[in-house]
Amino acid sequence: MKEMPAEDALRRKMQPGAISGGGFLGSDARSLQEILDTDAAAIAALGLTHLQVAERLGEIVRAAMAAQGAPAEVAAGLQAVYCEARGRVPCPWSDGMFEKGQVEITDTRTGETLLCTPLSVHMIAAHGFYQGRGSHYRIEPGRLPRMLALPGE
Amino acid sequence: MIAILIATALVFAISGTFAALLLVAERYLVNYGRCEIDINASQRTLSVKGGESLLSSLMAEGVFVPSACGGRGTCAYCKVKVAAGAGPLAPTEAPLLSEDEIRDNVRISCQVKVRNDVRIEIPPELFAIKRFVGTVEALRDLTHDIKELRIALVDPPEIDFVPGQYIQLEVPSYGGGRGEVYRAYSMSNPPSEARHVETIIRLVPEGICTTWVFQHLRVGDAVALTGPYGEFRLSDSPREMVWIAGGSGMAPFWSILRHMIENDIRRKCTYFFGAVAKRDLFLIDELGRLAEELDWFTFVPALSSPAAEDNWDGEQGLITEVVARHLSDGAEMEGYLCGSPGMIDAAIDVLHKKSITDNRIFYDKFA
Repeated sequence: MKEMPAEDALRRKMQPGAISGGGFLGSDARSLQEILDTDAAAIAALGLTHLQVAERLGEIVRAAMAAQGAPAEVAAGLQAVYCEARGRVPCPWSDGMFEKGQVEITDTRTGETLLCTPLSVHMIAAHGFYQGRGSHYRIEPGRLPRMLALPGE
Repeated sequence: MIAILIATALVFAISGTFAALLLVAERYLVNYGRCEIDINASQRTLSVKGGESLLSSLMAEGVFVPSACGGRGTCAYCKVKVAAGAGPLAPTEAPLLSEDEIRDNVRISCQVKVRNDVRIEIPPELFAIKRFVGTVEALRDLTHDIKELRIALVDPPEIDFVPGQYIQLEVPSYGGGRGEVYRAYSMSNPPSEARHVETIIRLVPEGICTTWVFQHLRVGDAVALTGPYGEFRLSDSPREMVWIAGGSGMAPFWSILRHMIENDIRRKCTYFFGAVAKRDLFLIDELGRLAEELDWFTFVPALSSPAAEDNWDGEQGLITEVVARHLSDGAEMEGYLCGSPGMIDAAIDVLHKKSITDNRIFYDKFA
């Protein structure tokens, strides 16, 4: 289905170089609505809501930021490290500005990692957006129960 | 149902076409003539070609309002108070302004089109901002993810600044990107080196500017910047100081310290420099040497999570914990902080507990 003009404008802001170097869509050729709908269905299938995910991710991000770059133990076998950066980054939906910097969450038992930012948390909470496949900060819903120690696995 | 969908699509298509035609007409057919921009009750008056954004009109006349996004209406840095002539608030502005700001006639200047005479207010210090063109003289690695960029200024050939201030580096389009953006970096050279601008830049994953610096910029390349900006600087008092920073937050202190040395400003200060592990430390030898030579300067590097192979026998813990251990009574001291909002907020807490009051705490918050 052809994208409507409003979605078109949003997609333009999500392109590499518009707001961030890599953009928010990766190599995903699907429409934005399809991306949102598919991930919403995946989250629902896990028995979770976007808000639950965002709250847990937000807790982890805050714990990592408080640790000022040192590893923070956020659950048994789960560590989070914050890498600070100067400046703020706007949400493509133009509904807020968010601190730059990233949090790397590591499952210390398997070495698996997941990256997120304060903006990631907001986009999940406010828009159910986990970013396009191939995006640097894409969060696959299926990984969440394991990586955030959430119910649903 | 199909008829409704077709009708809806048709309405969207027709509206979209008319909108596009209007934009084209405004860009190429409408002539707003010359418009006057009155700044700060006629402190300065500009005559500009109407039809451009307020931000770009001001920049074209050498008045550089800060902007990170290059006029795309996403960063909200370019706020300007517009007393008259701006027209109604654009839909792109409203999400970036608070209710108080809207009430105070604050506007996003890159989203305001100059179609008639306009009266605006800007901080007078913006008149001192200039645009500089220079050449990359050196680009050296300080750590695995931090570089020092040294620019030789060409036009104009010198910059006048106060140690602690920052510049905005102009990032050109590269790799298929979509136009210039600007990023703020504190100057790390002392003002005596007026023919150069030096900055300390940490790689931001997916960052537009730092990707350009780390992957594309070469010695000899031309670069542009505006400045100097910012209020972070030493106070005029003789009070003892505590400095707290980590990573690229070192930049303003490296400028300030070298300025103090050159000007024989012997204010007692202790610099607490935080890092995670040894690989994140830099300029340690230089700062250690200065701490040995200067009886008024103490340098305390601290690692929050040293690697086993670091064989670190210095201070350990979060930098805020180290400060809390070292500082006893700060009642007659001043605090200077540079770093992420989280670190600064935690540091302010510690300084409060050591009796350093808010009016004696100065900071450059990264956000």
